[in-house]
Parts: sequence; structure tokens; C-alpha cells
Amino acid sequence: MSAGIAAQLDRPLVEVAAELAAGSYTSSELTEAALVRARALQPKVNCFIAIEEDAALEGARAADRARASGQSLGSLHGVPLAHKDMYYMAGRVTDCGSAVRRGFVPAITATVHRRMAAAGAVNIGRLNMTEFALGPTGHNAIWGDCRNPWNTAYIPGGSSSGSGAAVAARIVFASLGSDTGGSTRLPASVNGLVGLKPTYSLISRYGSMGLSFSIDTPGPVARTVADLARLLQVLAGVDPLDPTTSQRTVPDYEAALKGGIRSQRIGVPTNYFGEQVAPDVQVALDAALAVLRDCGATIVPVEVPLAEHLAELSRAVLYPEAATLHNHWLRTRPQDYSPQVRVRAATGLAIPAAVYLEAVQIRPRVLRHFVERVFAACDVLFTPTLAIPVPTLDETRVGGGETLWRIIGQLVRCTAPFNYLGVPALSVPCGFDANGLPVGFQLVGRPFSEARLLRVAAAYQAQTDWHRRAPTVR
Amino acid sequence: MTMRLTGQTVVVLAEAQGHTTLNSDLAARIAAGATNAVRAVAAVVTSPDVRAVDPNLFDTEPAQFATELERLADRLET
Repeated sequence: MSAGIAAQLDRPLVEVAAELAAGSYTSSELTEAALVRARALQPKVNCFIAIEEDAALEGARAADRARASGQSLGSLHGVPLAHKDMYYMAGRVTDCGSAVRRGFVPAITATVHRRMAAAGAVNIGRLNMTEFALGPTGHNAIWGDCRNPWNTAYIPGGSSSGSGAAVAARIVFASLGSDTGGSTRLPASVNGLVGLKPTYSLISRYGSMGLSFSIDTPGPVARTVADLARLLQVLAGVDPLDPTTSQRTVPDYEAALKGGIRSQRIGVPTNYFGEQVAPDVQVALDAALAVLRDCGATIVPVEVPLAEHLAELSRAVLYPEAATLHNHWLRTRPQDYSPQVRVRAATGLAIPAAVYLEAVQIRPRVLRHFVERVFAACDVLFTPTLAIPVPTLDETRVGGGETLWRIIGQLVRCTAPFNYLGVPALSVPCGFDANGLPVGFQLVGRPFSEARLLRVAAAYQAQTDWHRRAPTVR
Repeated sequence: MTMRLTGQTVVVLAEAQGHTTLNSDLAARIAAGATNAVRAVAAVVTSPDVRAVDPNLFDTEPAQFATELERLADRLET
């Protein structure tokens, strides 16, 4: 393998896809380079549960054969990707980052896998994740902790830990994670990437591991907004196999990037989200707002109604649903859960059914109230993704007592509110904290405003280079 | 609202649902998490903002959430 082809792994997905199409190099060469890097970094970062070398090379060769015969498979033709270990492929193992489901072989294939394969993507393996996606740090007592490539003493964020680490480490160009409380946005933020929690119902969940059926969304992680838009275009849209998917026409996300933001009002919350922000994080956020202002946006103050309750409302739905899905295993195999995950999976056992149903029942009203109040004043809401410096793996390890639980609460403080509301939220890299770990801001919009969020983020990335910074893994 | 679940209550609730191996540490942590969630729901269901349309939830349809997402959708032309 030449050094030249390995260098392509550091470049944006959309550029590499164009060069693959032009025949500058082959998918087999690129995929082999990705596998070499994956093997080299796995001992340090532990972002894979399984590097699936044979299947990857077979997929790459098939992509090359199709290209040689004049066939274009789609917008991801020949591009090596890897995804969170929770999307089923018929006949192939999916462990869900757990011991309970270790060796599980599903009979069905997730729609998201089908769509990425139909667009020509090559899948090089299954990425590490928090056990059953129940936790925001990236610890995994069963498969080993995933580590942040910017500094392996720090958390990679969770639950899509491997997605954040593998994309940041330039092993793959993008990845599909999932988001029930911040699980794509946190790994994106702490790894210097863009990560999207789409509107609930935008992307099919058929064939994916469930955690909370009222809240779960698949979510892409990428290095640039344009790369993320490319992946979202492939994933979004109605799926007959998932009756919860929206039937709306999917907009052209890549075309939407070019519109500029001159008339956009960016809302900065006057309550909750601006509280408890660390000084070094605030510096990065303030600088990001200044860039958006320079791009022509107007910055306006906005009060977010019920903000202090939204994250807990999210948990009032998530916990009982998770307890329902895990109830049998919690009874019969409690020893196969790590302690933190067992607590989270079992918390719903103590939430009365009527309370859970009230949280579900009031959800449309709370959503309506939020949208009508917030988006009367602005077009896009701007918050921190993570208001504190990235914590270390040791600080957030089991046994950390009250400090541990305080940090855990901080990790999802700004992300979980929007899972309850079902609205889209995008994390965008905007600098580094005092320890040299990435900082991200979060853009939130009305339902199905992904194109608008991507446009604002694209305008920001056109003026900054945070998304081009790469870690040196040590 | 000052309601607080205790670890002991959690153990009883869990045992009633067939979970017999919760230790006191896990039960205390579950109690803390559940207490926070229950308090938040109680605070919001009694807030004037949420009650303005209908003072109770008797005629509310939870499936309305998907409809509301569609109705409130963004209108950006691309």
C-alpha cells in the first residue's frame, strides 16, 4: 500500500467519492488502507468490536467490478465506512456492545444497512458502543473501553463511542451511530466531528437494536457537514418496513448547503443552556457565534420554555421503555450487565406506569409549546453540545460515587432535552478545551429542519478549519 | 414537590416484578434516577403552559406527537 492512498483517508468523503468515480484509485486500495489503519489503531483506541476484513475487501472488489463495468452504484460508491454494532445484517453477528447479545445472529437486515449498500458503501466492521447504547461515556466493561483518539485518557463519548473515535482517527470517512439522549452528538463533539440527531421518524429503525421506541433515532457522524449531508441523503425517508417513518419528501440536503445564512436568526438561550458552562468552553462558543454573525446571521436572545425539565422528561420515557425491552434479561441474566448499565436499564422498574404515560401524553403539547415559543423568535437555536471540558475515562468509571453521577448528568444536560422533543439537533466542532480536547456547539431546529441546520453549519465550516484538524493518536 | 423514592421502595417494586437480586447500592441509584424523572413529569403536567389547552389529559391522544412533528415542520426551500 502506498503512502499516497493512506493519505486519502484523511480527506473529506465527498471528495474521495468523486475521485473514486474518476478512477483516481480503487475502492479495494482505499479499503485496504482503511483496514491497515484500523488494525494499527485498534490497540490504542479500541473503536471496533469486529474488523470484518474479508467482507470489507469482498465489498470493495464488488464496487470496483461494478465501476469497471460502467455501473454507478450511488453516492457512496466504494467508500469504506463502519457502523455502530447495533444495526442488523442477516446472517452476521450483531453483539449490541453487550454480553447478553454476544453472538446474536439476526435474520433480518436493517434498512439503513440496505440503503448504504445500495448507495455503494463498503462496510469494514462493527464499531464499539456503550453496552446496549445505555450510557454517554464510551466505557464498555465487556468489549473494552473505547478511547478518544485526541487523547486516549479521555472519553470518546457515548453511546456511539466507536463511531466518534473511528471517524476522528481517520479510519473511516463517516459512520452511523444512534441517538436516544445525545449518543451521536456527544461522540461528535468530543472527537471534533459533526453529528446529527435527526427528527424522530426521519430515518428508518427497521432492523436496529431498540432502546426506547418513542425516542430512538439512527444518526450519522462525519468530519464535515457536506459529508454528513451525503450520508443523510442516503438514509432519510419513508420505509414500508418501519411504520413510524415520516412520509415527507426528503429535501436535497447537499443542495441546501449552498444557501448562505444572511437572513437567519440564531437564538441563544437566556436560560438553562447557558448555565454551568465552563470558561474554556464558553470562549469557543462565543467565538463560534462571532463567526456566524460575520456570516450574516442575526444573534437573538431566546427563552426556552420548560428547559429545566426536558432532559428528565426524556428519561421518564426512555427508562420505562428500556426496562420493558430488558425486563426478561434483567430477571434472568442480571450478572451479564455491567453495574452502570444495569442501573439505567432497571430504573424504569421504579417509574409508575401512569407517570410514564403522562410523559408520553403531554409530549405533543410540550413540543408545540416549545416550537411556537422558540421558533417565533429565531430560526435555529444555538447551545453547547457539552458544557464542561471532556472528562477522562477514570473520572467517569464505575465507583466514582456522586462525582461520577454529577458528570454523567452534565454529559447529556444539553442534548437529552431535544430527544424528548423529537426535533433535530446537530453538533459542530468549534475549538478545543483547556486540555486540548474538542468542543462543539449544537444547532437545534423545528421538526424536519435538517437542511436548515446543515446550511448554517456549512456556512460556519466555510469560515473555520476546526473540522480539518486531525488527532495524532498516541 | 418533595416526593423521594427510597432504595427500599425500589427493592420492593423490583421484587414485585420478579427482580430479586438488586443490592442496596443499585437500588439507591435507581431510586435517585426514578425520583428525578417522576418529579419532572409532575412539574410539567401541572405547569400552566401545558394545561392551557385542556386542564386534564382526558382527551389527549399521544399518537398526536407524530402529527405535531409534521404540522410544525420547517418550510425551508432547498
